[in-house]
Amino acid sequence: MTWQVIARQDGSVTVGSRSVKILLGLLAAVALLAGYIYPIAAPEPITTAGFAPFVLEGLRFVIPFVAVLLTYGAVASHRESGSIRLSLSLPHSRRDVVLGAFASRTGLVTAVSVASLLGAGALVVYPFGELVLDRFLVFVGLTVLFGAVWCGLGLAVSLVAATRRRALVLAFALLFLFVVVWETAVAALRLGLNAAGIVDGTLPDPAQFLVGLEPSLLFERATTGLVLPGESVAGPWYMGEWVALGCLVLWVVGPLGLAFLRFDGSDLS
Amino acid sequence: MPAIDATTVSKQYGTEIALDRVDLTVEEGETFGFLGPNGAGKSTFINTLLDFVTPTEGSVEIFGHDCQQQGVAARKRVGVLPEGYSVFERLTGRQHVEYAMRSKDVEADPIEVLDRVGIREDADRKASDYSKGMAQRLVLGMALVGEPDLLILDEPSTGLDPNGAAEMRQILREENERGATIFFSSHILEQVEAVCDRVGILQDGELVAVDTIEGLRASIGGGTKLVITVDGLRNGTLESIRSVEGVETAVASEDSADGDATVEVTCTNDAKMDVVVELHSAGVDVVNFRTEEASLEDMFIEYTGSGR
Repeated sequence: MTWQVIARQDGSVTVGSRSVKILLGLLAAVALLAGYIYPIAAPEPITTAGFAPFVLEGLRFVIPFVAVLLTYGAVASHRESGSIRLSLSLPHSRRDVVLGAFASRTGLVTAVSVASLLGAGALVVYPFGELVLDRFLVFVGLTVLFGAVWCGLGLAVSLVAATRRRALVLAFALLFLFVVVWETAVAALRLGLNAAGIVDGTLPDPAQFLVGLEPSLLFERATTGLVLPGESVAGPWYMGEWVALGCLVLWVVGPLGLAFLRFDGSDLS
Repeated sequence: MPAIDATTVSKQYGTEIALDRVDLTVEEGETFGFLGPNGAGKSTFINTLLDFVTPTEGSVEIFGHDCQQQGVAARKRVGVLPEGYSVFERLTGRQHVEYAMRSKDVEADPIEVLDRVGIREDADRKASDYSKGMAQRLVLGMALVGEPDLLILDEPSTGLDPNGAAEMRQILREENERGATIFFSSHILEQVEAVCDRVGILQDGELVAVDTIEGLRASIGGGTKLVITVDGLRNGTLESIRSVEGVETAVASEDSADGDATVEVTCTNDAKMDVVVELHSAGVDVVNFRTEEASLEDMFIEYTGSGR
């Protein structure tokens, strides 16, 4: 297992690039801005627990874009240029290369998310807010997990695409589907089924569960159930926060695992 | 235990056969030259050693480790200069060598390595600004990290000027004297001839010959080449030379301005006079006549095509 060597190398190269600094700066700016605005705009009481769903509305857009743009080229660009041949000529396995890239890039997103959320939390608490530390830390943890999901998806794209350009197209297709059109498409589906008289008002629970598998909806449900005081997620058990948490974990390992199997079995030429 | 042991390795891309049942053993301590024209499958074979490519059939081992199943263990004791690589953007030459050292768990001074391959002055420049020859030196340096037991080099002299190629050969000799096994591919004959103990010749994915250079010479008829200048060639002259016992090949080369022609004949030593007698009885006047030892180039041409 030499993935740490790769992670160190990948991290130091990645962080030196200006576009990466801009992307990570954007993520920090969204969190800090939310922390600045929330105490001004939100109704009393001002608490860090109440801040969570507020900042989530920003994070659900900015994290997918930042994470995917940070990872889509992680392997594809090395493969296209041929520098991956240098790494794989050394005693590293392909698994080390993928794990190392995942660790370094997820690490960057995690570090920036944690630091900026803690900063935003301080802005909320000072001077009039209330700190609910344990619940806020749970929210920070969920944000990290959400970031890992999108880093995993971006890296999966990077593994299945042979060139950087193809990876970019795939990455944008994924972002467009999940971040831009998903909820509109679900709403349209519900209206259509309503109009056709198949459903009455809302979708049946199993269908709700299926359309609710989109990562940011899972992030939202887990936050509602685990972070907000006195609230729970409505619906049957499989719509609950713990199932949502489990599904987020599956989003991290599932796509990346499948993409890795494909990458591991393919020829590099 | 052999350094490299390949058993009926084949690689097929669709209908195209890149490697056709290659059996090859490279013993520890030897310098083995892998020779063949471009596109013969040399890189494909080396790529199977590095697990860039999975063979469709057969298996390859390095020091007893299967290159596909135990790739990391196989590459532990190996230094590699692969084909089709590029250096890492944004990393300096020194950082490249440091990366190789960390990857192989070696504590040493990167500058010593860079000095040995002749790019000490450029240690702190971005490697992406290096010329092709400098990049080649850098990656050779990365391959030398940790005194590997086997060096696998794919066309190592690509991009090097004649001086650089000579330095490269010198390093390969030093490494071999240290005890390392060396396996390198080339389409340039003189480099192989200069350093190799044994040579394998690959043609259209098939290993057509594996032997020492002396052995290859012996196998093409005593290693004598006749260069005969005659006053002119008639139809059938070449055919009648080829029919002489002991003659391997007979090729007419360029005509000179005054109508003379040159014939190159490879044959056994005993057949030399017979060739001249045959020319005489065919009514061809011999203007000039000299013998040469057959070079590897003659063998190469012989084995890979046109002469046969």
